[in-house]
Amino acid sequence: MTKKEKKSFNQSLAEWKLFIYNPTTGEFLGRTAKSWGLILLFYLVFYGFLAALFSFTMWAMLQTLNDEVPKYRDQIPSPGLTVFPKPVTALDFSFSMSNPESYRGYINDLKKFLKSYGLEEQKNLTNCTSGVFFEQKGPEYTSCRFPLALLEACSGVDDPKFGYSTGRPCMLVKMNRIIGLKPQGEPRIECILKGENTAVLSTYPSNGMIDFKYFPYYGKKLQGSYLQPLVAIQLIFDNRNDINEVTVECKIDGSPNLKNQDDRDKFLGRVVFKITMRP
Amino acid sequence: MVGGFSILLWIGAVLCWIAYGIQYSNDKSSSLDSVYLGSVLALVVVLTGVFAYYQEAKSTNIMASFRQMIPQQALVIRDSEKKTVPADQLVVGDIVEIKAGDQIPADIRLLSAQGCKVDNSSLTGESEPQPRSCEFTHDNALETKNISFFSTTCLEGTATGMVINTGDRTVIGQIASLASGVQNSKTPIGIEIEHFVHIVAGVAVSIGILFFIITVSMKYYVLDSIIFLIGIIVANVPEGLLATVTVALSLTAKRMAKKNCLVKGLEAVETLGSTSIICSDKTGTLTQNRMTVAHLWFDNQVFVADTSEDHSNQVFDQSSATWASLSKIITLCNRAEFRPGQESVPIMKKAVVGDASETALLKFSEVILGNVMEIRKRNRKVAEIPFNSTNKFQLSIHETDDPSDKRFLVVMKGAPERVLEKCSTIMVNGQEQPLDRSTAKAFHTAYMELGGLGERVLGFCHLYLPADEFPATYSFDVDTMNFPTSNFCFVGLLSMIDPPRSTVPDAVTKCRSAGIKIIMVTGDHPITAKAIAKSVGIISANSETVEDIAKRLNVAVAQVNKRDATAAVVTGMELKDMSPAQLDEILANHSEIVFARTSPQQKLIIVEGCQRQDAIVAVTGDGVNDSPALKKADIGIAMGITGSDAAKSAADMVLLDDNFASIVTGVEEGRLIFDNLKKTIAYTLTKNIAELCPFLIYIIAGLPLPIGTITILFIDLGTDIIPSIALAYEKAESDIMNRKPRHKRKDRLVNEPLAVYSYLHIGLMQALGAFVVYFTVYAQEGFRPSTLLNLRVEWEKGYVNDLEDSYGQEWTSYQRKYLEWTGYTAFFVGIMIQQIADLIIRKTRRNSIFQQGLFRNKVIWVGIASQVIIALILSYGLGSIVALNFTMLRPQYWFVAVPHAVLIWVYDEMRKLAIRLYPGSWWDKNMYY
Repeated sequence: MTKKEKKSFNQSLAEWKLFIYNPTTGEFLGRTAKSWGLILLFYLVFYGFLAALFSFTMWAMLQTLNDEVPKYRDQIPSPGLTVFPKPVTALDFSFSMSNPESYRGYINDLKKFLKSYGLEEQKNLTNCTSGVFFEQKGPEYTSCRFPLALLEACSGVDDPKFGYSTGRPCMLVKMNRIIGLKPQGEPRIECILKGENTAVLSTYPSNGMIDFKYFPYYGKKLQGSYLQPLVAIQLIFDNRNDINEVTVECKIDGSPNLKNQDDRDKFLGRVVFKITMRP
Repeated sequence: MVGGFSILLWIGAVLCWIAYGIQYSNDKSSSLDSVYLGSVLALVVVLTGVFAYYQEAKSTNIMASFRQMIPQQALVIRDSEKKTVPADQLVVGDIVEIKAGDQIPADIRLLSAQGCKVDNSSLTGESEPQPRSCEFTHDNALETKNISFFSTTCLEGTATGMVINTGDRTVIGQIASLASGVQNSKTPIGIEIEHFVHIVAGVAVSIGILFFIITVSMKYYVLDSIIFLIGIIVANVPEGLLATVTVALSLTAKRMAKKNCLVKGLEAVETLGSTSIICSDKTGTLTQNRMTVAHLWFDNQVFVADTSEDHSNQVFDQSSATWASLSKIITLCNRAEFRPGQESVPIMKKAVVGDASETALLKFSEVILGNVMEIRKRNRKVAEIPFNSTNKFQLSIHETDDPSDKRFLVVMKGAPERVLEKCSTIMVNGQEQPLDRSTAKAFHTAYMELGGLGERVLGFCHLYLPADEFPATYSFDVDTMNFPTSNFCFVGLLSMIDPPRSTVPDAVTKCRSAGIKIIMVTGDHPITAKAIAKSVGIISANSETVEDIAKRLNVAVAQVNKRDATAAVVTGMELKDMSPAQLDEILANHSEIVFARTSPQQKLIIVEGCQRQDAIVAVTGDGVNDSPALKKADIGIAMGITGSDAAKSAADMVLLDDNFASIVTGVEEGRLIFDNLKKTIAYTLTKNIAELCPFLIYIIAGLPLPIGTITILFIDLGTDIIPSIALAYEKAESDIMNRKPRHKRKDRLVNEPLAVYSYLHIGLMQALGAFVVYFTVYAQEGFRPSTLLNLRVEWEKGYVNDLEDSYGQEWTSYQRKYLEWTGYTAFFVGIMIQQIADLIIRKTRRNSIFQQGLFRNKVIWVGIASQVIIALILSYGLGSIVALNFTMLRPQYWFVAVPHAVLIWVYDEMRKLAIRLYPGSWWDKNMYY
């Protein structure tokens, strides 16, 4: 008696059929048409209400926000350091000097990025005094010019290939934008080669100086034309007939409030990348 | 118990390790996060398993300690020497000696016996002493007089016997193995939990597979799809539920143990609550298990004696001279004596040497007359003829305590018809009258009336021997019977019964109102059984059996429509000839049934018949003979005091006070825990949606992940544990003893409304509330909701370190990660705050919280405090531990979800209000779980 007789296949099939549509009660999937109608109506109303409520709360929450400045900036006290061209999968750039296809992406990236630094684009910007913060009270905000000439050989003006075709590739290093950030001391970006030195590294502007006049940043809404200061580095490889591989480390230096050493955040005020050049 | 969840979690753990394997093969330096998560999941499975095992073992331990194993000794003659050896060392052919008080150490065939009587109650359940001699009287070993059985006790006399069976081959061993042969079926709550696991696992697996397909077709990497799948599984499985359910059950088990119901397996706690039929043994469970004087008949009148447990008020008229004579016979014609050294013990509890009837008479007279032994001393016994089954009477001759009266007094008691034969006169109001036809008729009417009550009737008579014929020096010889044995004076009748316990009728009424059918199954006579059934209410006052109707209408039994009778008394003999269909018919058509003269096998058949009716059957019993039925029953209930070890080990529950009324407590607790488990599960399931939605939104809308798997585990195994246990302390919403037992197939623990309401109503509201907190945190840090859409891919790229927010600021990947953890914490806090509201609304299913009382269950508030404290510790105390993914959250974010929590409460109050206002409506059917 303990064993229950197994339902035969036909029996369970018939049960399923009855569940899907029961002709005697008119039930479809266990409910009558009226019941289904009520259920659908109920959920329509209920979910409609929930959606409206959610939209309203979100709207109300957004009303509390400031359009110009985020309410809190505690999670990004210190800027990160990033490089251009944009890395594709990792901070590992490789190209072949003789193959333009291999570096075209890098060049386009650099061009695209430097487009906003073009003479035409900087026409309406202000020439600011070097060495002091460019503080503004509004209501109109403007931005300081960043002459491309500061990047010298890496400006892309003289060499539209940014040195990639000649074995002297350029990279741009920039500090992340943070609203209201005012660096202290003498901030500069210092880059060094790590490991075996098979190349010579040049920095433009020399010493990688970052001018105070580009700070503080007032946010996208107020200061849409803002140009962040850049530092370019150029690698000049000794032996262009061989595969050259160098690791470059850049750091923000000389400013006590810009951190460059954090155990967890490997990009806080520093960046390490690798460049491989094949002939 | 919740095996299905363990399997899901194992799958999750293995997927984690597979994911790491894929990561590792691509990138040797990949993080060990998935390995940790996998190990945590495996640990959760193992720990909850160990915890459940520990809880089970703890309650089993109570049982083990309860069973006192006293090594039994046997006196055996070996090598012509008497030796004492442990009973388990006996072998077939050993000669053993037995004396009064011994337990029989094996099945033995008697070689010699002197006045040996045994108590076979451990075997048959009936404690009537049975004489044993060395004569072979019956083919059936159980009936013959020259065999004594293992585990029965010798009450008086001595005997020598040869061991014929030992251990498992003894009759009792065979019954025990019959019991172990009966398969233990799943408990009702076990089935319910399995059903619930199927639902949850079904939801988890189908959502998991659906989204796996979606992610694969959205061209996500397989690795990512696997990680999503893990998240979905972890979110869907209520990891803490196994522990919670176990704790809730063991809390109830503890509570029941306090009320004298000892539960062996935790799951059996609920079974009594869903019980719809109780098959109760009579002797010892419903009755006091001792013969007690119930009625007296003298002076042509029936008097009622007090049969309550302490005999305290005997109110019948004791002024008649007839009573004086009757009481003298009762006192003197009795061989039973109190064991010495019991001066301080109340009379009814004193141990007596003697059989059940004599004990009853002794105690009865001791209560009314005072010191019986003193009276006997004053009326010195000069000769006696003990009771035997051929004479059917007992006689003794005494000197009287009246010094002026030199006559001897002969007193006699016995079977009423035998006693009457020996009488020529009858005493009425102290006067002897000739016994004529009318008085004889009065006697017969009284005899039939008392016999019809199922009572054992004894007749009493006496005779004063003339002093001249029988001088003081006369020597009486009981063998030659040199004294008259006829022309006695009949004094009265006295009837005895094993009376019902005083608490039983009330308990039966309570069971009745709780919709539980009580069936009496006994080895006793049908008449006695019916009488007891009537007196405790198993057969109610105005219901009739087929035989009663036939008698009332004066027609043949066959002519009565069986449907008219609500009650039925079925004997073992009738049951033997019945087909299962006929038994089913009886069980289905009669609401009040008594089975009498049944054998252990038939008990089993009756239980199976009840189970065929889709009933959940409880069986009570104490003897070894009951153990197969106890095992077969959905819940076997053994008696703790009188119960045999075999019965106790076969049972799922032990009544420590042998009191049927304790069963009512068990039913109540069982029903309460069923209701409360519903609440616990509803509470636990709700947040699953709030944990699942983040993953779905993450996959579909590409938001940064709102909540991590580790964080989910902290909800399931951290903040939610104590609150869900607290619901087990909730009081009943209404009188749970006034509703029908739940239907095995229809009233499920987790039904559609419960799942739908938890998942699609409250769960969804919770998810929305938590998302509000999440969006608030991101927006106030610079990422507006519009920016977050489809940001997932860029957000998660480790080498993108200048991701722009809505304000033009740029974030490194670690800064984003930290913000993501803040988001986890925010979402966690959002769920936690709303779980407080969820906990409060789950206190009731129908009544308003204000009807139930917000503060009546203090443990709920302990639960709420624990939630908040754990969350505070996680956010502020452990905020710096990176592996746990918690960060310090601004204090104001803790309150963002509060309006949603209030909304949940209001919505649920509205639901309950509509259910109360429109019972049976569409709303009630779909919204009441």
